[in-house]
Parts: sequence; structure tokens; C-alpha cells
Amino acid sequence: MYFLSYKTCIEEGDLVIAYISRENMTPLIMDPKLTYNNKFGTFRHSDMIGKEYGTKMPSHNGRGFMYLLHPTPELWTHVVPHRTQILYIADISFITTYLDLKPGSIILESGTGSGSFSHSLARNIAPNGHLYTFEYHEERAKAAKQDFERHGLSDLITIECRDVYKEGFGITDLVHAVFLDLPAPWDAIASAKAAFKQKRIGKICCFSPCIEQVQRACASLNEHGFVEIKMFECLIRNQEVHTIPVYTVKDAVSKIKVQQDKKRKRNEEEASNSKAAKSPRIKQDPPNLYVSKTPTEAKGHTSYLTFATFLPVLDDEIEIIDKVNELD
Amino acid sequence: MDNQYVFIVLPSSNIKVVKLQKDTTVSLGKFGTFHTNDIIGKPFGHSYEIYDRDKIKVIRNVAFYEVDDSGANNQETIDDPSKQKLSYQDIEQLKKDGMEGQDIIKKVIESHSSFDKKTEYSKAKYIKRKESKFSRVFTPVRPTLYSVWEYFFAKNPSKIRDMRIDTLSQMLTISNARAYAKLLVVDDTQGLLITGVMERLGGSYGIVLGIHDGEYHNYDIVRYMNFSKKVNDSLMVLSWQQIFKEESPFNYQDESKLSQKDLKFYLRKKANYEKVQEARKILWKGGFDGLLVASQYQPESILDTLVPYLAGSRPIIIYHINREVLVNTCVHMRISGKFLNPQLTESWLREYQVLPGRTHPSMSTSGGGGYLLQATYTSTIT
Repeated sequence: MYFLSYKTCIEEGDLVIAYISRENMTPLIMDPKLTYNNKFGTFRHSDMIGKEYGTKMPSHNGRGFMYLLHPTPELWTHVVPHRTQILYIADISFITTYLDLKPGSIILESGTGSGSFSHSLARNIAPNGHLYTFEYHEERAKAAKQDFERHGLSDLITIECRDVYKEGFGITDLVHAVFLDLPAPWDAIASAKAAFKQKRIGKICCFSPCIEQVQRACASLNEHGFVEIKMFECLIRNQEVHTIPVYTVKDAVSKIKVQQDKKRKRNEEEASNSKAAKSPRIKQDPPNLYVSKTPTEAKGHTSYLTFATFLPVLDDEIEIIDKVNELD
Repeated sequence: MDNQYVFIVLPSSNIKVVKLQKDTTVSLGKFGTFHTNDIIGKPFGHSYEIYDRDKIKVIRNVAFYEVDDSGANNQETIDDPSKQKLSYQDIEQLKKDGMEGQDIIKKVIESHSSFDKKTEYSKAKYIKRKESKFSRVFTPVRPTLYSVWEYFFAKNPSKIRDMRIDTLSQMLTISNARAYAKLLVVDDTQGLLITGVMERLGGSYGIVLGIHDGEYHNYDIVRYMNFSKKVNDSLMVLSWQQIFKEESPFNYQDESKLSQKDLKFYLRKKANYEKVQEARKILWKGGFDGLLVASQYQPESILDTLVPYLAGSRPIIIYHINREVLVNTCVHMRISGKFLNPQLTESWLREYQVLPGRTHPSMSTSGGGGYLLQATYTSTIT
């Protein structure tokens, strides 16, 4: 249940995210018999049990430390074994809002991939919503299912190994929102349409890295009667914060003077062949300025987010559908 | 939908906020009037056209029309208003005669002497322009965090501290706002941030404690979401003054000795006092699951005041439209040693027009989404 509620203290069996640095985190399941070793030393699980989450934990041999963090879906994305490309937080956030996800929402996701976005979705729709997620790769589906079970998310997530292009989702009149992270979303849109709760408005998102995919997806959404087709791209740009000294032109002039003085003294010393007394160096620290800069290299593209609205079926359309069904 | 707020999108693309009450009519100005009963209980998503002054019929919505380029170009296009044979008076007369919007548009197109010479793209554009003028089609839009934000961002962005929806969404994700959470929120965005947090908590499964400016809170935006009582009850508020441990004793009185009028007043005062006391108790007990800030006050001072109430390994997320403010806070966080990995980020969002043969980024867009400073609070310092 780590992902659905917080605890204060670490207990046996808990999942802890060991934070060594921004790039180096690792998931640990607390087992008093185990120790975790990294280049900063030895960390005994038994030392961690009973500590509060957020504790700065020194290694047993005192060579370094790490932080014991409480799992969140965001931290999980850092430590999940990357079985596939994962979604980034800018996209996750925007999609969650645009699809109007909240406690109680019923949502369809395809494919599951590494299950990292599923964790995020489950967090948002808990305690009374449901996520139906589909993955055609059998091993990936198994691995994700295992993660959901370990993390106490099984009641919220139904995962199925299924080729949705060929077989569809097999769900009708059930979900509020659909998220398609598929190479050919247009082949799943008809089935996705049937999955929506038919008598209310719904939202769909197609997640595609290429513009050609977006164009085909939009044409297909249009064909299937989806409206308000919108496409976005969002990113998070990091700003590195630094402290820089503020030098002035006066400093530049005095820097040259100091250099010239040194040279002159050296020449004098060489000429007289004796060492002149060292003049005391007066160095004044310049005032500091807090600044930020963008990194030299940054993520420039993740995927295009195509959104559309599913329109509720009108009463007269329902009559028509019913009549057709009767004829069948 | 009775007694609920809805946004009505007018043909001019303007949005009108309406609190729907049954058995009443809503006037959309020059576009006409409709009876609330005609749309109450109907699902959102469809548009309606007004006819016969106050009757409505459902209009099937479509996303976009496939436009075939006929090969026409703008070589012979001359800006000449005389090409339109219908005068303003003629159109007004048609309207008075009760002609429907779609028919007026058809008539306007027929009366345009060189409409055929236009390219298909400019034909589509022309029709759209006329629709915004003569159509009587309106669309009720359900208030969601996105649509509520869209309305206030377009209307008066400075009131919500220029916060863009992608940035707000990131705050909600990073703060891990979900059912069962207990969150501290400093909101000077008219309640936009609080609204998002309340929705993600979804009612009785958590606590949202809003620390507000002034004596009384001004979370005006909350009401547009039509939250259930359960969700509304999850919100507790304290002013900056009330969070400090100064005693403000309440003068309890013998209720049986009060007059009817005094009793009512007394009970309300007592209820308010007890509500504040309860919120204070919850705050002072501490152990909050996160802190979200979008405030006019210096973030460092907010951190100093509220961080002691957080549990360990919990997220802190601070928004500001001015990067400089957060750069200073970031340095402050690093020096204090209580915060793990303070990160300053800028939100970037770009919308595209996707149409057959005409896909490109929107020509105009918001200039910036603001900045976020996030960190994890670590309870123990060694």
C-alpha cells in the first residue's frame, strides 16, 4: 500500500527507496537479515527498520550515507527496471489533468510498458476508481502484474496480456478516459470508442513521438466522431542554480595592475639579484549573485500528446443501435 | 446539473459562467435565450442551436472538415466589401424574420459574388468567421480543473498568479496529491491551487489545510467545480495569524439564557471558533504529507514557518512566475540542509494545429508557464 498512503516509520517488509544521489537510487524491501552494499559502505536493513522515512542514514562502517525515502509513483519511475521507455513527469502531469483523473475515475491504458505510468494512474484514481491496462508483450505484462501485486495495487489495476490491434479491448460502456501509448493508435480507436461510458462525455489521449503518427491518429479520431481534437507538447526545463561573483571594470583594471606589479618586481629582483619583501596581498571577495542557467544539453522532445473528446451517444442514436442489435 | 455552475461557450468563442437553476431562462445576449430545463439532465459534450427565440435543438459536433484544395489561389483576391451583396440591414431583417443562424450563413455565402474564387482554406475560414457572428449555437461545458483554469487564465491571468495548467498539473503530481493525503497549501491564486488539491484528494479521504492571506480566505475558484459536500468539507483554513500559538479564548455562555436572536449569532460564532481550533490542532499535531506554495510572500519565510509541520520524506513544491524569487529560495534550501535535492524548473508547453496538410505550432501562445522549485523534506539532520 506504499503508493496509496504514507507511513512515518520504516517497518519490516516495507519498500524503501534508497537515495544515494539524483542519478543513483535503488529500491529495497526491508528484511532484517539483509545488508545493502554500495561504494559508500554497508547498510544493514536492521539499522533502517524503525527509522523515520526521510532519515539520513550513515553506513555501518561510516564511509558515507544515503537517504531513506518513502516510495511515490514519481520515485518509482527512477528505480523501475526500464523494460520500455517511460513517461516523463511533465507529460504524466498534463495528461492526468486533461483526462480529468481523480478518485473514482475508471480508465483504460494501453500498453502497460514498464507499469510506471500505471502506478501514477492508480495513485490518482484510488481508492474507488479502476485502471484497465493492456500489454501485448507477455513477459512485460507478467513483470508489471508482479509489481502491482507487491505494491498493493491489485485491487485497483486489472492487467491483461492482449493484442489490442487484433482483439480490441473487450470492454464496453465502462471507462471515463482512455490513454493510448501504442505505435499505431488508429488501429485501437474504434475499440477504445466502445469502451467509453456511452452516455457521458469522455477524454482520450494518444501518446506518439512522431508527427506522422499524430496526423493519422487525428484523422482516425475525426472519423470516429471524436471532437475537440487538440495536440500539445510539454517539457520541463531544468535551471541549474549557481552562485557567481560579480566583478566590475574596476576589478578588471586592478587585476591588470596586480599582474604588472608582479612583473615589475620580478624584473627588479632579477636586476638586483635579491628578493624584495613580499607586499601583503589584499584580496576582497566580490559580492555574490544567485543565478540560474539552463543545462548545456536537455531533453528536447518526449512525445506529442493528442487529446480528443468522446461525445455521449444521443437518445435517438441509442434507439438506432438497439434496433440494429435486435436485427442481429 | 440543477444548481450547478456551467460554462457556456458562445458562438463568438466567449465564455459565460452560469449557475443553472431549474425552471428559469438564461439569456445569451444577442444570441438568444434558452430554458434551463431543456439542458438540465442532458449529458455534456453536445451543442445546441437556439431557434424560435427560446427553443433549442441538439447540434451534432464535428472536429474538422476534410478540406480538398481545388487549386484556387489568392492571385485575384481583392479586398472589396462590395462583393457582399447583403447589407447589414438585410441581415438584421432576416434575423427578425426568425431565420435560423445556419440559413443566414448560407444566404451570406450565396450573396458573396466571388466566394467561388477563394481557396478552400479561405472558404473554410470565411464560414467560420460568419458562424461566430450569425450562428446561435452554444455549448455547455462541464467545469473541470482544466476548463476552470482555462476560463480564469483567459479572463485575468494575474489573479491566478499567471499559473499555467501544465505547471499546476506538475504541482499536483509532484506533491503526490491523492486520496488519504494530508496537505498544507499556501494559495494566493484565488483558490485555483486549492481546487486542484481538493479534487485530487476527493473528499473524506484526506485533509487540505489552506493557509490564507488576510483575515478571511478568498478561494473564489473552488465553488465553480460543483464539489460535493464531502469534498468541500475536506478543506480547512487558517490565516497566517491563526497558525501561531497565541491563545484567543472564547467566551462560552449558557445557551439556555440567550434570546432566540442572540442564540443564533452565538452558535455561529461558536461554530467558527471551534472550526479554527480544530484546524489549529491538526496543524500543530504536524506530520503533513506535503507543502504546496503559490504565494506572494517570500518562500523562505513560508518554509521557516510551515516546514516544522511536515513529516519526513515528503515533497515541497513552490511556484512563482518570477525565477529570481525561487533562485534565492533554492540557495536558502541548500544552505539549510533540511531539503534533499532542491530543483528549479521551468514549464514549457506548445500547442499545435493539426489539420490535413496544415499542421504547425499555434501562431500565438502563452509566453511562459512559470517556475517550480521542488525538494524533499528530510526529517533528520546528522
